[in-house]
Amino acid sequence: MGAPIIDFKDVQGVILRGYRVKFARHFILSITDTQATARLLQSLINGDAGLPQVTTALRREVRPASFLNVSLTSAGLSAMGVSDDDLKTFDASFQQGASSDAIATIIGDVGSSAPQNWIGGLGDGQQVHMLISLWVRESTDVMDSITAKLNDAFEGAVKVLLVQDANALPDDKIHFGYRDGIAQPTVIGMPPNNNIPDDQPPVATGEFLLGYKNQIGGTYRVSPSQLSTNSSYAAFRILEQDVAGYEDLLKSFSEQSELDTEMVAAKICGRWRNGNPLTLAPTQQGSPLPSEEINNFTYVKPPAETDDTLGLTCPIGSHIRRNNPRNGAVVGTDSTHHRIIRRAMPYGPVYDPKKPDDGDRGLVGYFVNASIHNQFEFLTGQWNLESDFVKSATAPGGEPEGNAVFNISGEDVFLGVNEDESSSFTFAHDGKNGANNTNATGFGRTIITRGSVYCFFPSITGLSYLASLPTQ
Amino acid sequence: MGILKKPTSLLNTTVCSDSIYAELINYSEETIMANPLTLIMPVLPDTKLLTIVELLAKSQPAIDAALESIGTVHFARFSLLDRSKPNLQPDLLEINKPSSTLMIGVITVYDGDFNPYISDFVAQLGDVFNALLAVVVDGSTITPVQDNIAKFQDFVTTNDASQHKPNENLFSAYPQTVQQILAAFPPQ
Repeated sequence: MGAPIIDFKDVQGVILRGYRVKFARHFILSITDTQATARLLQSLINGDAGLPQVTTALRREVRPASFLNVSLTSAGLSAMGVSDDDLKTFDASFQQGASSDAIATIIGDVGSSAPQNWIGGLGDGQQVHMLISLWVRESTDVMDSITAKLNDAFEGAVKVLLVQDANALPDDKIHFGYRDGIAQPTVIGMPPNNNIPDDQPPVATGEFLLGYKNQIGGTYRVSPSQLSTNSSYAAFRILEQDVAGYEDLLKSFSEQSELDTEMVAAKICGRWRNGNPLTLAPTQQGSPLPSEEINNFTYVKPPAETDDTLGLTCPIGSHIRRNNPRNGAVVGTDSTHHRIIRRAMPYGPVYDPKKPDDGDRGLVGYFVNASIHNQFEFLTGQWNLESDFVKSATAPGGEPEGNAVFNISGEDVFLGVNEDESSSFTFAHDGKNGANNTNATGFGRTIITRGSVYCFFPSITGLSYLASLPTQ
Repeated sequence: MGILKKPTSLLNTTVCSDSIYAELINYSEETIMANPLTLIMPVLPDTKLLTIVELLAKSQPAIDAALESIGTVHFARFSLLDRSKPNLQPDLLEINKPSSTLMIGVITVYDGDFNPYISDFVAQLGDVFNALLAVVVDGSTITPVQDNIAKFQDFVTTNDASQHKPNENLFSAYPQTVQQILAAFPPQ
């Protein structure tokens, strides 16, 4: 069966296109007047009344100066008039919402990351209805101009709960100093990206869009049909990063492992801070690899010289390997069933060690998928918080060199809960049953959840349906 | 961790009070890594035992291969039951006779949580589930399971006796996962 033909003009752009911009502004909104909100949506669909048009995934000859997309929560869909029976056809986790106790517990939003500590009232999911996100390529003037128009249009329709800005850092880095946004899944039906080859299978369209075949041969759908095909879900996350705390963690790991701090930083992430993967640059960072190489690798690759089944080069518990084990053996199925598309940017000022307390900083954006339960939540709740998902596997040298099962411990250093008394990160070495491994311990959380919203990105058809609901 | 012992308060107990029940469950949660599945599904009226036996025999190679691939299941077996019989055992002399009292039991012990992995199970066993559910009461409302993951999850939750009081208990002689055991004792 050939690749499905995607109607790109019916798909919101952020789902399938990376905008590559300098600035973003996310408006988190509570609907106060349904009829007025319907008019607001219709104006955004049409791009009239002085407002920008909702950006679709249709590639344009000339890149626009700005991009805009709209999503709603379960409470927001209900507020717009979607029936309870129809809402029951939506992703079960989406229905519960990110701020529910059950979901927060599953994905590790507990303690300092718990919903009661979130900003902007996001911890009260019932009042969070709609997100409008604006991305601007170059100009803060464009951002300010469109913001003024949006604020006028919000009047009488929605209440602004939170405005969360984001701004790209030089070299696409995040505040911990790593280059970000390198690895994204190749989606069947999208034009191939010839610039960044990827030694992994492409992922079914239905993993990111409702109405198309997914990896298990089924199709995610919702009711009514107008809201189904070409729609998608995302987890919107505001993740505060404690840079000083992370630098302290690197020093502690360095002392415990006897590796220098930059090697430790690479081991924790799986990539050096310049983006080079340890798999391709095992001993030193080196110059940034060209785009045709930087994401073109796998972990299980005999013979012994190129194989890293045991995670001796790129730890099995590293961030990129936990979140995408590639061809590493895991229980269940394989990594193609749990991919997400990341659309996040840094927020807050660049970290200055001389002024460590000059404001909050972190990462904000969307993690896109067609099943929050089986993709975002599986990653965050299972592969990031557990260490027993790795299958028994040996390297080409056999049992004496060790087994993958023994070469991972604890939780993801970035996204785990990481209680001081139980946290653990394994630096693996040759040896049966992990006999020679070093486990760094005694570290806490350096990324705190400051807000989270489970969103539904309707297709353009779906947005039009929602805009028409209050008048029916 | 050593071999589990029954909490002393449960010895010589015939009536399980709420407090004793809570102690049993807490004890299990603290010490046992694996979880039980006891999925009991009533079969559609007028179904022959032979139909189910043939279906399971035909599916067994695919089931075995899938469970090995999934890698979290310690043990799994089917039990065909007949609720009209005093000992619940079907009568093989009636194997070709339509029955309205048959039940299919799927009994396993597996590592971790089932719900996060339900799509992975469906990825590997979806067509087997579909074939089984075709002869199960209400099965048609959740097939194909590939299109009805949430409903299938609800179905399992509803019909898995191990997710309901008073059947949540499990004894395990060891705390290791399937993969830890395979790593420590690699198949020769």
